[in-house]
Amino acid sequence: MNKIVIDPVTRVEGHGKVTIHLDENNQVKDSFFHIVEFRGFERFIQGHPYWEAPVLVQRLCGICPVSHHLAAAKAIDQIVGLEPKDLSGPAQKIRKLLHFGQIFQSHALHFFYLASPDLLFGFDAAPTKRNVVGVAMQYPELAKKGILMRKFGQEIIKMVAGKRIHGISASPGGVHKKVSAAERDYFLNGKEIPSIDTMIEWSKEIIHFIKVYHSKNAQWMNEFAAYPSGHLGLVNKKNGFLELYDGHLRAIDAHGNITLNDIDNDDYQNYFYEGVEKWSYLKFPYLKHVGKKNGWNRVGPLARLNVCEGISTPLAAFERLAFMAATNEKINNKTMFSHWARLIETLHCAEMMKELLLDDDILSNDLTRRGERRNEGIGIIEAPRGTLIHHYQVDDKDRITRCNLIVSTTHNNEAMNRAVKWVAHNVISGEAKITESMMNQVEVAIRAYDPCLSCATHAMGQMPLEISMYDHLGNLIDHKIS
Amino acid sequence: MRNNKSIIIGIGNTGRKDDGLGWLFIDSLKQNATEKMDLAYRYQLQIEDAELICNYDTVIFVDAMKDHLEEGFIFKKCKPSSKYSFSTHALVPETVLQLANDLYQKKLKAHILGIQGYEWDLKIGLSPQAQNNLNKAKAYFFNNILN
Repeated sequence: MNKIVIDPVTRVEGHGKVTIHLDENNQVKDSFFHIVEFRGFERFIQGHPYWEAPVLVQRLCGICPVSHHLAAAKAIDQIVGLEPKDLSGPAQKIRKLLHFGQIFQSHALHFFYLASPDLLFGFDAAPTKRNVVGVAMQYPELAKKGILMRKFGQEIIKMVAGKRIHGISASPGGVHKKVSAAERDYFLNGKEIPSIDTMIEWSKEIIHFIKVYHSKNAQWMNEFAAYPSGHLGLVNKKNGFLELYDGHLRAIDAHGNITLNDIDNDDYQNYFYEGVEKWSYLKFPYLKHVGKKNGWNRVGPLARLNVCEGISTPLAAFERLAFMAATNEKINNKTMFSHWARLIETLHCAEMMKELLLDDDILSNDLTRRGERRNEGIGIIEAPRGTLIHHYQVDDKDRITRCNLIVSTTHNNEAMNRAVKWVAHNVISGEAKITESMMNQVEVAIRAYDPCLSCATHAMGQMPLEISMYDHLGNLIDHKIS
Repeated sequence: MRNNKSIIIGIGNTGRKDDGLGWLFIDSLKQNATEKMDLAYRYQLQIEDAELICNYDTVIFVDAMKDHLEEGFIFKKCKPSSKYSFSTHALVPETVLQLANDLYQKKLKAHILGIQGYEWDLKIGLSPQAQNNLNKAKAYFFNNILN
């Protein structure tokens, strides 16, 4: 069997490897997206005091540490006897401000740095051009906006948590620091950095960009790596609207039928099972009652817009209508629409940040609460890439005895494998030679999910693209390093 | 705007043995230093660092190097260049300078202080040779650059 290896996949957050297995006629027989990193956080956090969890687990990642910090904090809140609604208003709002800042900067990072080169230059552009530096050279105004949008989100994180990466905000039952009036003004007055109003305007502009792009490339966006799937995300407990911090878990199938009906976070174990495959360290979660074959779900921006019934902020709500009109109000299973959905969420986060920055509660000293101690806590949050579950059990000496983490990219494991299969069968199969363009299309399909494989800490910062192709006897017949 | 006109950026990861050379150099500046310069730590250089350095007239990038260096370190000029690595997770200093030039029309004086490292495993702490190189680089920097 011929084997093509793409190792590592570039422009995703971390390392991954794709193998495509061909038969003797160069027809694709099978394909796999391997996650070969092993972190072991669930194990080595055992024995640590529970209050260390929000600080320790965020070291999983250099891209989305805030999400891990807050998911762990929500779980630890339960251990000190508090549900999310029991926290003080100021603590809830400061945490949400941190959360929206994180999603805003992460989505900006993904679109401007990772996805836009594919959209602006196309699959066939040289790799030396098809990257964010190429975007900066050819579209400097777009690049500058991308840089400043990411910076704005990072500055929000720095204000709330002390530093841009691996800061600390949440403490058991609340937060440890309020926002000062001067800190708040920095984001409102536009003197040192563009203001939050500018962020909203730029978010609208980039949505306009993707809508124009869609009007010119509708067939590609509709068809590329599209396949039916379930969708999972949090929704607001009262009205089913888009919810990123705390809500009920809802899942639907590819046609919109409810498969998980707004369950409480604490019940997740009754509905989810994590399958394993010997070729990947990443598990394959699915809904038990639906079964492994059909019970897997996409998570992230596309899934969230599919499962929600509306958006609470007016500008993002308006943009959601155009998004839904593109599929005649039907459930959207088109992978490339993830980019559009991500930008609508970016606008929503900007609107929410403005609302929170203007709320005087964030200046309050009413920061922490305490309840009746428990031995178990579950925190579920919508991270930039999708639903993130943290679950801890502790003993009477406050030591963590069990930890279970289901991260967003894990939920998307099956979905990313389906995306790779789509490209393998529709683009590569039957071709005599594997081109750079074909390889890049595999990556484009994966990148739509913005997978976070835990990175930012590579020893020497080198990440070449290495491609190896083997004939059916296992002989290396082609090898490329970009 | 920042008051200082110079910034030193340490690049690396102290969890990867000698890859921590850049950060440890910055640590030593914090201990001994100077109000003349701003200091920054980076796992990797990214495109937004072009925006950061535009606030300064001079930038020095400090990083571990695999190459054999006769003195154990090298202090050299850094010129703008459109060097690309395939991934854009990490940019080289030359590209960051080029971006500062192209995006913000800012031309800076820039240098690279490269310090030779030897071991890159997932472990905290320098190898003895890297520690020796770090000491030599610090001595050179304090004697010839700061003073």
